[in-house]
Amino acid sequence: MIFWEIAKRNIRIHLLRSSLAMLGIVIGVVAIASMGILGNSLVLTVSDSLKTVGDSVIVTPHVGGTMGGFGGGAGGSSSLKITEQNFQQIKRASAPNVAIPVLQTSDRMKLGVGSDDIVAAIYGLNPDDVPDLLKLKEGGYSRGNSGCLVGSTFATDNNVKVGSRIAIGTDGNKGTLRVTGIIEERGMAFDVSTDSAIVVTKDWFDEIYNRNDYDKVVVKVKNLDDLPAIKTAIENQMNKRDKIVDVVDTRKTMETIFSAFGQITTFVSAIGGISMLVAGVSILNIMMMSVTERIKEIGIMRSIGAQRKEVMSMFLYEALILGVVGSIIGGAMSLLGGYAISSVLLQTTKYLFVFSSLIHIVYGMSFGIVISLICGIYPAWRAANLNPIDALRHE
Amino acid sequence: MNEQPVMVFKDVVKVYPLPSGDVTALDDINFKVERGEFISIMGPSGSGKSTLLNLMGCLDTPTSGDIYISGTRTGDMSDKELTDLRRDRIGFIFQYFNLFPLLNIIENVTFPMMLKSQKAVDPEKGRAALRAVQLDDSLFTHTPTEVSGGQQQRVAVARALINDPDILLCDEPTGNLDSKTGAGIMELMSELNRKGTTIIMVTHDPNIAKYSRRTIRIADGRIVE
Repeated sequence: MIFWEIAKRNIRIHLLRSSLAMLGIVIGVVAIASMGILGNSLVLTVSDSLKTVGDSVIVTPHVGGTMGGFGGGAGGSSSLKITEQNFQQIKRASAPNVAIPVLQTSDRMKLGVGSDDIVAAIYGLNPDDVPDLLKLKEGGYSRGNSGCLVGSTFATDNNVKVGSRIAIGTDGNKGTLRVTGIIEERGMAFDVSTDSAIVVTKDWFDEIYNRNDYDKVVVKVKNLDDLPAIKTAIENQMNKRDKIVDVVDTRKTMETIFSAFGQITTFVSAIGGISMLVAGVSILNIMMMSVTERIKEIGIMRSIGAQRKEVMSMFLYEALILGVVGSIIGGAMSLLGGYAISSVLLQTTKYLFVFSSLIHIVYGMSFGIVISLICGIYPAWRAANLNPIDALRHE
Repeated sequence: MNEQPVMVFKDVVKVYPLPSGDVTALDDINFKVERGEFISIMGPSGSGKSTLLNLMGCLDTPTSGDIYISGTRTGDMSDKELTDLRRDRIGFIFQYFNLFPLLNIIENVTFPMMLKSQKAVDPEKGRAALRAVQLDDSLFTHTPTEVSGGQQQRVAVARALINDPDILLCDEPTGNLDSKTGAGIMELMSELNRKGTTIIMVTHDPNIAKYSRRTIRIADGRIVE
């Protein structure tokens, strides 16, 4: 159509100012899309590190408030434990899912003659439960009391291999354990964070640290839809009169975390959106200039038979071309921007070429086109509603 | 055959309401233009010529009275209907040619056709219209600024005639041309009129008015002869 052709040619003959207006849209698209990609990559990074724990209900002693019922109710954090009797109640409430009691402490340990002592977390688990909770990347599960498993980061940092020996306690006064296996990396976790820890048998832990109760219970839920029901069942069973345990549904917690990250993404994208609004004002400005320069031309068009809507379409096409071209360039540059930001801030670009990241480029481009069109509406309307007689007289 | 007048002004009054008081630009104007006439409208500055031209071109509506174009009363028409009327029944020729600088000469000429058909048109009809106004083929793809004033006015005439209008309305068509070129344009107008085109021309130049076959003189908003 001729009005589309006129819009294109008008942009071409005013290439510099059209390019500057497009540059605003390019910057706006890049800002929105890059911020969106960064936020999404952040969510995916956290998601990857938390993915192993989205299938559990974690039961821990209630902190704060009344503390009767556990460990003799003497108060103080050291007395906050889950007794064997409590564990059996939790196990019944969560059946047929597996309930895994966890003991936890930290201690000094030495990894070889002449090496310095280090301090690391020690988990005590029933050997039968370990395969349900932890996967090994090397070696095998320890059955006897003299064996232990180590986390992958622990193994790397301390050059520990299957068969290495670890002396526990100051100068090894609590005995020596042989490493039977290295646990797969698990990342941050609500249940057990084993990457920088060692895992020993419950019996060894009880004997050395004189314990017969638990720090937490992890319920591994087979059907994720059952998570809320199991959480409620445990709470109903344990917190009948006083709140004596805290029960966390890890999936729900993750959802809360992801929701928070989602809000951060929205917020940073909104900052990018402000630059798009500025770009929109620039489009409005050049479109107003274009209308003012072409008042006489509009008058001629109207006098020889162009309808108002045709004059309006000519200016809207112009805004659309600026928006679409600016958005396409911006979209392409967003990939570079997203790559640069991800490389610098997250040290990885593996989350860039995934749908949930790339969709932010589509959002940015769509916003760019919509803003351009919206900012073109008023100048186009003004052009279409000029009085043809006044427009013809305009010099 | 349509024998009714192409234009009728009946008791037309045009008043401009101004803060300092109403100004009557045209008062009780009555005339008819028959098909095939060549009329010039003459009068001094401020006499109401431009207002009359705007009313004849359906760019404005009268305060009272009726205007008929080929039998159609324009007073009750919407903006869209008036625009269609201008596109289909009236051809405009302006003093300053008023071609579109972004379009080449063929595109300028076929522009009103495209408005009418709402799609791309056969450029051959544009070429034929340009040849009819004696414009050289080599100029057809040039832009208006690349040709002379006289050539631009010939393009404007071709554009005005492209939709086969009932009336050609000319506003000082030679006012921006030298006398020789102006005479060439007026010869072209006369030729078109001889072939049946109805022409109404506003001018203040008696030498140009001589080309017409009837003159309407206007003074202080009234027809004086």
